[in-house]
Amino acid sequence: MPGSHPAEPPRLAAWLMRIRLPQELADAVSGDLEEEYRERVSPTRGRLAADLWFWGQALILRSFALHRASRRLRAMRPTWERSGPRRADDDSFDPWGVMPVRPEDVKYAVRRLTRAPGFTAVAVLSLALGIGANTAMFSLVNAVLLRELPVRAPAELVEIYTSETDGYPYATSSYPDFRDLREDAEVFAGVVGTRTFITRLDQGGEPTVVFGELISWDYFDVLGVPMALGRSFLEEEDRTPGAHAVVILGYRTWERDFGADPSVLGRTVRLDGRPYEVVGVAHEKFTGSMPVMVTSFFVPLMMTNELMGGITGSDQLARRQSRSMFLKGRLKPGITADQADDAMKAFAAGLAETYPESNEHRTMSVLASGDVALHPLVDRALVPVAGLLLTVVGIVLLIACANLASFLLARAEDRRKEIAVRLALGAGRAALVRQLLLETTLLALLGGAAGFLLASWTVGLLMSFQPPLPIPVSFDVSLDRTVLWFTAGVSVLAGIAFGLAPALQATNPDVAPTLKDEGTGGGRRRRLTLRNGLVVVQVAFSLVLLIGAGLFVRSLQKAQQIDPGFDTGPAAVLWPVPEMSGYETNEERYEFYRALEERLLAHPDIDAVAQADLLPLGAGVQTRSYVIPGSPSDAPDGHHDVDNASVRPGYFDAMGIPLLRGRDFTEADVDGEESAIVSRAFAERFYPGQEIVGRVIENRTGSPIRIVGLVGDVKVRTLGEEPRPYVYHMSGHGAVPGMQVVVRGRGTDRALLEAARGVLREVDPDVVVIDVKTMSEHLALMLFPPRMAALLLSVFGGLALTLAAVGIYGVVSYAVSKRTRELGIRMSLGASAADVVRMAVGGGMRLVMIGGVVGVLLSAAVTWAIAGFLYGIGTTDVVTFAAIPGLLSAVALFAAYLPARRASAVDPVRALRSQ
Amino acid sequence: MAGKPRLGDLEELVLLAVLRLGADAYGARICRELVDHAGRSVSISTVYVTLMRLEEKGLARSWLGEPTGRRGGKAKRYFALRPEGEEALRSTRDVRERMWAGVPDGGGAHAG
Repeated sequence: MPGSHPAEPPRLAAWLMRIRLPQELADAVSGDLEEEYRERVSPTRGRLAADLWFWGQALILRSFALHRASRRLRAMRPTWERSGPRRADDDSFDPWGVMPVRPEDVKYAVRRLTRAPGFTAVAVLSLALGIGANTAMFSLVNAVLLRELPVRAPAELVEIYTSETDGYPYATSSYPDFRDLREDAEVFAGVVGTRTFITRLDQGGEPTVVFGELISWDYFDVLGVPMALGRSFLEEEDRTPGAHAVVILGYRTWERDFGADPSVLGRTVRLDGRPYEVVGVAHEKFTGSMPVMVTSFFVPLMMTNELMGGITGSDQLARRQSRSMFLKGRLKPGITADQADDAMKAFAAGLAETYPESNEHRTMSVLASGDVALHPLVDRALVPVAGLLLTVVGIVLLIACANLASFLLARAEDRRKEIAVRLALGAGRAALVRQLLLETTLLALLGGAAGFLLASWTVGLLMSFQPPLPIPVSFDVSLDRTVLWFTAGVSVLAGIAFGLAPALQATNPDVAPTLKDEGTGGGRRRRLTLRNGLVVVQVAFSLVLLIGAGLFVRSLQKAQQIDPGFDTGPAAVLWPVPEMSGYETNEERYEFYRALEERLLAHPDIDAVAQADLLPLGAGVQTRSYVIPGSPSDAPDGHHDVDNASVRPGYFDAMGIPLLRGRDFTEADVDGEESAIVSRAFAERFYPGQEIVGRVIENRTGSPIRIVGLVGDVKVRTLGEEPRPYVYHMSGHGAVPGMQVVVRGRGTDRALLEAARGVLREVDPDVVVIDVKTMSEHLALMLFPPRMAALLLSVFGGLALTLAAVGIYGVVSYAVSKRTRELGIRMSLGASAADVVRMAVGGGMRLVMIGGVVGVLLSAAVTWAIAGFLYGIGTTDVVTFAAIPGLLSAVALFAAYLPARRASAVDPVRALRSQ
Repeated sequence: MAGKPRLGDLEELVLLAVLRLGADAYGARICRELVDHAGRSVSISTVYVTLMRLEEKGLARSWLGEPTGRRGGKAKRYFALRPEGEEALRSTRDVRERMWAGVPDGGGAHAG
C-alpha cells in the first residue's frame, strides 16, 4: 500500500484486548496481532476480513490462561525480563487490583509507625474521634431504623393497619376485627396481634411500673422466635377472657429480676395485683415487637381486660370501637405484600358492610415489615434526623481524614528522597503505593478499634440522656455485628481515602531533581497545593457544621424564650394511677382526686392545685370530634377534630392561664348539661369577632356542650406551633380519666415535690405513681429534641473545629519549617520578627479566608435541610452567620500564630546554613 | 521437574517453529509458521500460553526486542530454545522413530 497510511486495527477490539493482557505481554501480543493484521489487509479483499479476524482474536483471547502462566513464570523467575531498567515490583502486573499483603510489608509498616509515635498517636486519636462519632451515631440509627426483628424469615412479615375515618391509614385495629381476620385471611400463613401495656409489678417492696405486651397465643410460633426456657402460650390460654393468668418473661427481666434462675417456671409474679404463673422465658435476642423498647412481660390477649380494664372500664375484647392492637402477618409463600394489601382492602370493605356502626369509612392496609422501622408516621420524622446525624458525623470523619492526608503529604515530602532512591533502585510504583496504603490502612484500623471503644462509651453516655418519659424505657442500642462491620468498613475506607492521594503523590516525584537535591526550590510550591486545598476543605466543612450547631443553639435559646401560655415557674407534677390501685369505678376515682386536691390545698406551703388528664407540652395528643354549628368541616359528617383535656376546677388559676371571659368550672358542672371552656384560638377560628360564651357546640353523638368560658392559648403539642383551638371539659362529667396533678406554692419546686408526695402518701400509701417530677422536668421533655440537637451538633462542630485547627497548625508549621532559609535571609536583610510572623500567619489565614467564604456559601445553601428542626429563627440567621465565622477565624488565627511565632525566633545565621 | 519433560503435541510444534525461525522467532511469525508448514490454525494467545508453559518447563526463553514502527511502536518478544528444549525435541523424535521402526509397511495407512 504505497503512499497510504498503514491500516489500523479496530480500536475498540485493540483496547478490549489490551486491558485483558498481562502487562508484560501486552506489547508483544498486541504488536504481533497488529503486524498480522496489516499482513491480512489486502488491496483486493479490503479490510473487512482483517477486521473480522482481529475481532475474533480479541474475543477468543485466553486472558486468564495468559495471566496464570505469566504469574507462574514470575513466581519462578522474578527476573522475567522486561524492557527498561529492571524492577522488583512484580505485583503491579496484577490487573485486577488484588494486592496480596505480605507479612514483611506489614512488619515494615508497623516499624515505620512505631518509629514516629507522636504522629501515630495524633493520627490514631483523630481517626478514633471521627470513626467513634460515626460508629456511635450509626449504632443509634441501626438500633432504631435498621435492625430487623430477630425472627424467622423476616422478609415474609407484614404490618397490618386499620385506617381512621378521617383517612389516616396507619392506625391500630380492634380485637374483634383481628379475630375475624384470623379466620378469614387466605393470604397469611399466620396473623398475630399485640398491644402494649404499662402495669404495676409487685415483688415485695415498692411496686414498679413495667412495660409489657399482650399477645395472641401463637405470636412466638408465627414470628418464629424460640423460647429460652419453658413454652409459648397454648391455644386454650387465648380462648376465654380472664381465664388463664400466665406470663412469659422477657429475657432481660428474667436475668435482672429473677437472677436467670432456671427454676422460675411455675413461679408467680403479681401484675396489677393479680398473680400470673410464669410458663416461659423469651429468647435472648428477642426484646419484643417494638423496636428499641424492651418488653418485660408477655401476657395472653385474653387478659386484656384484667390489665387494661381499670383504665377504660369497658370490655375491650368485645368492642370493635376499641382499637389498640398492632397486627403482624406472615405471608403465605408466593404472596406479595401488595397482594395482601389488596386482600385486606377487600376484607375491610366486608367488615364495613357487616359492622357499619364501627367500621364504616375504614379500610385496612399492609406494609412489608422491612419497610417499617417503628411506625410509618414516626419513620417519616426519624429518617431525616438519622440522615442529618450521619451526614454530620460523616463530615467530621472527612475532616479527620483530610487532616491525616495533609500530615501524610507533609511526611511524604520528607520521604521524597527515600522514595526517589527506592524508585531509582528499581522499586515499582505500585509496590510503594501499596506499602504506603498499608501504613495508612493500619493506622485507620487502629483508629477504628479505638473509635469502636470510644463509641461504646459514647453510646452509654447517650443513653443516660434518656428522654424524660414517664415510663422506664430500656433502650436496646447495643453495638452488634452490623455496627462492627460498619466500623471496620469505615476504617478501611478512611485509610484508603486519606492514604491514596499522598501515596500517589509521594511516589511520583521527578526522580532526578529530587536526587540532585533541587527540590527545595520553586517546584515545591506547586506540590503544596493539595495540602492547601485540604485545609480549605476542612475549614469550609467545619464552618458548615459550626453554623449548623450555632443555628441549633440559637433555636434552643429561642425555644426556651417561647411563652407557652402558662406559668412555667416552680411547681411539682404528680401522676398517680388510682385505676391501677383498686379504684375501679368512676365514683371512687372522682372521690380520690377530690380528696387529694383537698388535702394538698390544706398543706401550708401549697397555694393552688391543677388537675388535668393531659398537661400541655406533655408529648401526648388527644383529640375529640365536635360538631360546631355554623362551621361545618370537610369530614364526612361535618365534625372537627379538636385537641382537648379534662380538668378540675382551679386548673386555669393554678396553671396561670388567663380566664378572658366567662367563668371557671365548678363542682356543679359534673352533673347536668355538659359545659366546656375553650381557647382564644378556638373562638377566633370558629366564631371570629363574636361572643363565644353561651354558645352550644355538640359531641359527635349530638349531645350539647355549652361554652361557659374563654381562656388564653397555650402551646399544646410543641413549642413551635401556632395557637391551637382547644376545648377543656370538666372531669367527672361522664368518665373520670387518670389525672396529672400540678401543685404550686411557696418554696422551690423540689420542696413542693416533697410536700406533694407526702400528702399523696397520706391519702393512699399504696397508690401506684407513674411519675413525679418538677415543672422544669416536665418542660424538659419538649426541649429534649432541640437540646439534644444543640448538644450533639455543638460537640461535633467543636470536634470539627479542633481538627481543622490542627490542620491549619500543621500547614503553617510545615511552611515555616520549609521556609527557614528564606525567612533567615529576610531577617538578615532587616525584616522584623513581627513582619516574619505576619507573613507566616498570612499564608495560613489566606487559606482560612477562602475556606471561610466557601463554608459560608455552602452553609447558606444547605441549612434549608434543618429548617424543620428550628424554632423561631430562619436558616440564614444573621447572628449565627456573623458569630460563627468570627469564632472560626479567631481559632484559626491562634492555630496559625503558634507555629508562626517560632519563625520569628529563627537565627538568621543558622537559617542560612540550613538546607 | 523429575525426569525428562514430556512434550505435548502443540508444544512440540511450537518448539519446532521456534527452532526453524531461529533469530526471527516471535509470536506472529510462529503463528504463521504453524499455519504454513503444520496446517495448524492457532490463535496468538494460545501460542503465547504454550510458549510460556515451555518457559516454565525450562525449555525455552524469551526477551524483549526493540520497538519497531511497523507494529505501532510495540516491542517484539523473541523466543529461543534452551538446550533442554532441543534435547526434549530430539528425544520426542527418537521415541517416534523407534515406534515407527516397528510399524510394518502399509500399516500406517490406518494409523492416521
